[in-house]
Amino acid sequence: MTASLKRICGSLAVLLVVLALNFFLFRLMPGDPLTSIVDPRFSPEAKAQLAAQWGLDRPLSEQFVVYVREMLSFRFGLSMMTGAPVWDELKKRVPNTVALLLPALALSASLGLWLGVKAALNRGSLVERVVLWGGAVSFSFPSFFVQILLLMCFAYFWRIFPLSGTTSIPPPAGGAAVLDYLWHLALPLCSLVLMGFGGFALYIRNMMVKALGEEYVLMARARGLPFRRVVWNHAFRSILPPVLTILLLSLPGVVSGAVITETVFSMNGVGRFLLEATNSHDYPAAGAAFFCLALLTVVCNLLADAACVLVDPRVRRGARE
Amino acid sequence: MDSVRKRISAAAFVLLAALAMVGPGPLGLRDGQVAPPYSKPVWLDRSIAPPMDLRVGSGAGESATAAISWGYSAPLRVSLTGALGETGLVRWTTPSGDFVLTSTPGEIDLDARDIPFKRALGVSPFENMPSVLFPSRGDYALSLEGSGDVLMRIEGGRWGILGTDHRGRDMAALFVQGLRISLIVGIAATLIATLLGMSLGLVSGYAGGLTDALVMRAVDVLLSIPTLPILMVIAGIWGKGLWNLVMILSIFSWMGTARTVRAMTLTLRDASWVEGLRAIGARRNYILFRHLVPEALPLLLANVALGVPGAILAEAGLSFLGLSDPRLPSWGRMLHDAHMFGAFASGAWWSILPAGIGISVICLIFLDIGRKLEERADPRLVAKTDLRAIEETGA
Repeated sequence: MTASLKRICGSLAVLLVVLALNFFLFRLMPGDPLTSIVDPRFSPEAKAQLAAQWGLDRPLSEQFVVYVREMLSFRFGLSMMTGAPVWDELKKRVPNTVALLLPALALSASLGLWLGVKAALNRGSLVERVVLWGGAVSFSFPSFFVQILLLMCFAYFWRIFPLSGTTSIPPPAGGAAVLDYLWHLALPLCSLVLMGFGGFALYIRNMMVKALGEEYVLMARARGLPFRRVVWNHAFRSILPPVLTILLLSLPGVVSGAVITETVFSMNGVGRFLLEATNSHDYPAAGAAFFCLALLTVVCNLLADAACVLVDPRVRRGARE
Repeated sequence: MDSVRKRISAAAFVLLAALAMVGPGPLGLRDGQVAPPYSKPVWLDRSIAPPMDLRVGSGAGESATAAISWGYSAPLRVSLTGALGETGLVRWTTPSGDFVLTSTPGEIDLDARDIPFKRALGVSPFENMPSVLFPSRGDYALSLEGSGDVLMRIEGGRWGILGTDHRGRDMAALFVQGLRISLIVGIAATLIATLLGMSLGLVSGYAGGLTDALVMRAVDVLLSIPTLPILMVIAGIWGKGLWNLVMILSIFSWMGTARTVRAMTLTLRDASWVEGLRAIGARRNYILFRHLVPEALPLLLANVALGVPGAILAEAGLSFLGLSDPRLPSWGRMLHDAHMFGAFASGAWWSILPAGIGISVICLIFLDIGRKLEERADPRLVAKTDLRAIEETGA
């Protein structure tokens, strides 16, 4: 119990740091947060009114309390560009980002797992070479370069996928809408999986090769257990906790990758919203988008932690004590 | 085999560093000149004209001719500059007729796109002038009668060894400049981050207690925040200069080094020889900087080499998102421009491939060098990272 409590406290600390960073970065920057929307010709009264609208005239401590309340209640304050609540804009985009992120993570993890184990079992085979190359690519190729190449091949030269967007404009009605959505999602998702599986696969292969060389694996085989059972129930089972840790550590990178992916494919997601807000100096909107991405990471982190508890008896026993 | 590979990557690194230091100028790359946008590389399409200059000059009462044999489709731009004396005349002879390009004395600065120029030649303003001046393949001649000095510049859709980008800048020159930016940002950011990580790791490992707890919690928190969004926000607030970028990148990449150095310090702190040093009255700073830092140095060097790809990729990512100084021609910026200004709607793959391949190759080089340095610093790692060694123990 204490272990999981500790994890949750850690996640809360991360969120708190994100909130504080968000708040102070925007308040401590040189100049006035309002400079982006205030014209020098505005009268002092108009400026004061605008400052009051965003609560910038109150003391910093009071602003912080209001800010934290706004963030935790998912209202996120008013956008400086539109004057409308940020959440109204953001809530349309969160599902799109989740629909890109989670399948990408799940697919690249499972593909990496499968290929990694296969490569460890068939040393020197084609699969192993694919895994080694995939790993090198995922560590050294910029994701956006690969994505631009994919776009150029499959959306420009050979027009089987759309060049940009989350849905067609105007979106088709009924069941075709789902197909249209998937059609637009296919290329970004494929690119994320292509860039993501190599790292996992390489890692799993290395650990699996080691695990297969252990004496208890040889022992299990000598006892006459079937090969598949030895591989999955003995060797693979033992490397599962560190694999989950790697998955956990790769999460922030995956979220960062989603931001770039959404920009390359002009998708209507939180990442592109963040970029647009940053470029137009819309600080409340940028802060809210960043908070959403951090929250997504923390939630995924907690899920991976929970999975860790499930697969690792040592952690489970520690939790019970 | 390994030593050869190491030498290849080291040699490639030296070559690239030299290229970055020399810059595009001495290599004869036309930096700063403006060609037609998305010109193809010169070796690509032989039916398109490469850039050409025709120059004629003569004294009073004489005449001069420059002739070319034209075997391409019509060029994209034709311009005429120079000076013409009294009673001078510039004539353009084509297979299907002659044009008097100008007979006005004085300075000449004409572009085929100028409407007064078209009207003076009796051509409709809506006509594409280069195709009027170059109606077919064949022999052409630029002749000057009377005194003057005239330069005709003909620009087709081919330019330089790597073509041009959407603004007509030479891609090869941009590539070399981008290499310089990538190396500066990658190495500087990683050096600063490593110094930061080393000091924090040393302090937290050696001091322990509250300091240690604080630093390690900070590491945990920073490691579980997605970095790119926060880098974007900070770059948006702090400004987009080169050194701003270096600072931003280094602030968010010291955590790995801090962990490594802390773990090392923890094991060394209680080693008997360090205890011996303390027993003979060595001060803390002496132990830290004269004994622990040199001990950690080889590993730190490897850490720098292994950290550079991350910094280069992060810089490229930020530039790709448009969050770098637009005047800095970095590789990420080149890809940003290609993406934003429709390089693939023009089929201009030559404006995408060099930058992307450049980033990947330089990252592979640093990863390779880093691996080798790491193995040298900690020979135990050879068994872990070398695939052949694993095979031997696994068999």
